[in-house]
Amino acid sequence: MQSPSQHAERTQRRARPLLGTLVEVRATATLHAAALHTAIDAAFAAVERVQRRMSFHDERSDVSRINAALAGEVLSVHAETYEVLSAARMLGDLCGGAFDIATAASLVQNQFLPKPQSRVAARPPAPGTTYRDLELLPDARVRWRRPGWIDLGGIAKGYAVDRAIDELRAHGVASAVVNAGGDLRCFGEPQPIHVRAPDELTAFFYLGTISDASIATSAGYYCGLQIDGARMDALVDPNRGTCIEWERSISVLAADCMTADALTKVVRLAPQAVLGMLQCLNAQAVIIDRHGLLACGREWLRPPPAAGSAAQVLKFTSGRTAAR
Amino acid sequence: MIPGARVIVLPVAAAITCQPVYALVYMSVDQAQQLMFAGRTLTPMPLLLNAEQIAAIERDSGVKVYAGSLRAWKADDGYFFVDAVIGKHDLITYAVALGADGGVRQVEILEYREAYGGEVRNAHWRGQFVGRHHGDAVQSGRDIQNISGATLSCQHVTDGIRRLLATYAIAIAAR
Repeated sequence: MQSPSQHAERTQRRARPLLGTLVEVRATATLHAAALHTAIDAAFAAVERVQRRMSFHDERSDVSRINAALAGEVLSVHAETYEVLSAARMLGDLCGGAFDIATAASLVQNQFLPKPQSRVAARPPAPGTTYRDLELLPDARVRWRRPGWIDLGGIAKGYAVDRAIDELRAHGVASAVVNAGGDLRCFGEPQPIHVRAPDELTAFFYLGTISDASIATSAGYYCGLQIDGARMDALVDPNRGTCIEWERSISVLAADCMTADALTKVVRLAPQAVLGMLQCLNAQAVIIDRHGLLACGREWLRPPPAAGSAAQVLKFTSGRTAAR
Repeated sequence: MIPGARVIVLPVAAAITCQPVYALVYMSVDQAQQLMFAGRTLTPMPLLLNAEQIAAIERDSGVKVYAGSLRAWKADDGYFFVDAVIGKHDLITYAVALGADGGVRQVEILEYREAYGGEVRNAHWRGQFVGRHHGDAVQSGRDIQNISGATLSCQHVTDGIRRLLATYAIAIAAR
């Protein structure tokens, strides 16, 4: 905004409250200041569109319309919604149903989601409905085989980041980072990445740098991994949403943010499927706990030089050993 | 092991030392005004709320009113407000542009500050940020960019906006 030259490279950084969190866009380009702001406006607008279409609370959203639809009723949804539903179905199939967007009813019951508005509440889900009961028909149409409630909260935030990135590219931005409450994607300049220490909010780990990649992080419990021969089962108090023992921070890196976002749930819910899914989806998981930092999968992260003390040996589940 | 996959184990010594405060200034009030009302004149109209208005705003929005005044400006085609909300560990200052019809046109975060150990609720700590301008040095230690972490809720910002809309309806539109 300060330089009068149209061709000077400038960087602009803005943030808005969206998707229930703070969404930050940082963009660098050799553009006029106004054009750079227009690019960032377009990025935020893309996020707002995803929010409107996929909100669980908004009664006009595709998600609400789907959740109020009767079994057998054919609904047309927006192409973007359909794209997310298709991805969710593929991910669900890949991990044997552990990732399931049709778990909204139990989320509402356990108060992780607020009660839906009246039209949806009036058409409760059938018991045992899963994501596979929502048929995906040609031309962006869907139909329930039996009634259910979906929630796209585990995947739509990453998708919104991807759409924002598309807008920035389309507007001639050279280098950018979009960060939606910790789900982050970048292109252009390599970006240093930090995560919070799982149990110490003021401590940050510098993980290294990424280029043209995404990272999503889930802090909290981590089920069922064998580490050093001991089963690491975190005890979670669902009312407080906090762990009683040491928390683990799990980050997933992938080319796109939707995949990274969704995979953080899979790493928590289906650890037995993780290695296969990381390979299939070209992703990387990074886990931080008191033993240190463990990474596996494709090397999206360029780590900093090791600080010198001896690396530790960790064992992975299902009999495989990771040693260094 | 997955063919081609390599496990990297790094010592926890890679951690960065703790810092008690993390602060980011996105834009100043002036810059937000230029962004949201480019080329238009904004006339300051600071609002002072009486007890009756405060009670009505709290009833209407369901959100508590802590400040008896509001930084407001009027343009030909709308209004511009600056407000701040306090979360458990953060202080967020933001700007809202309303259209002539009182609907939200745009929201931008001005400043975001994190603090631990109870500083956020401390009036003295908050006082050091009053009147800050873009580009002012902020004592926050090393700039930590690109934090990937568990989602921080911005419900308090959403509540603040709801309170602002009620304030507009009761203290401005109703006049």
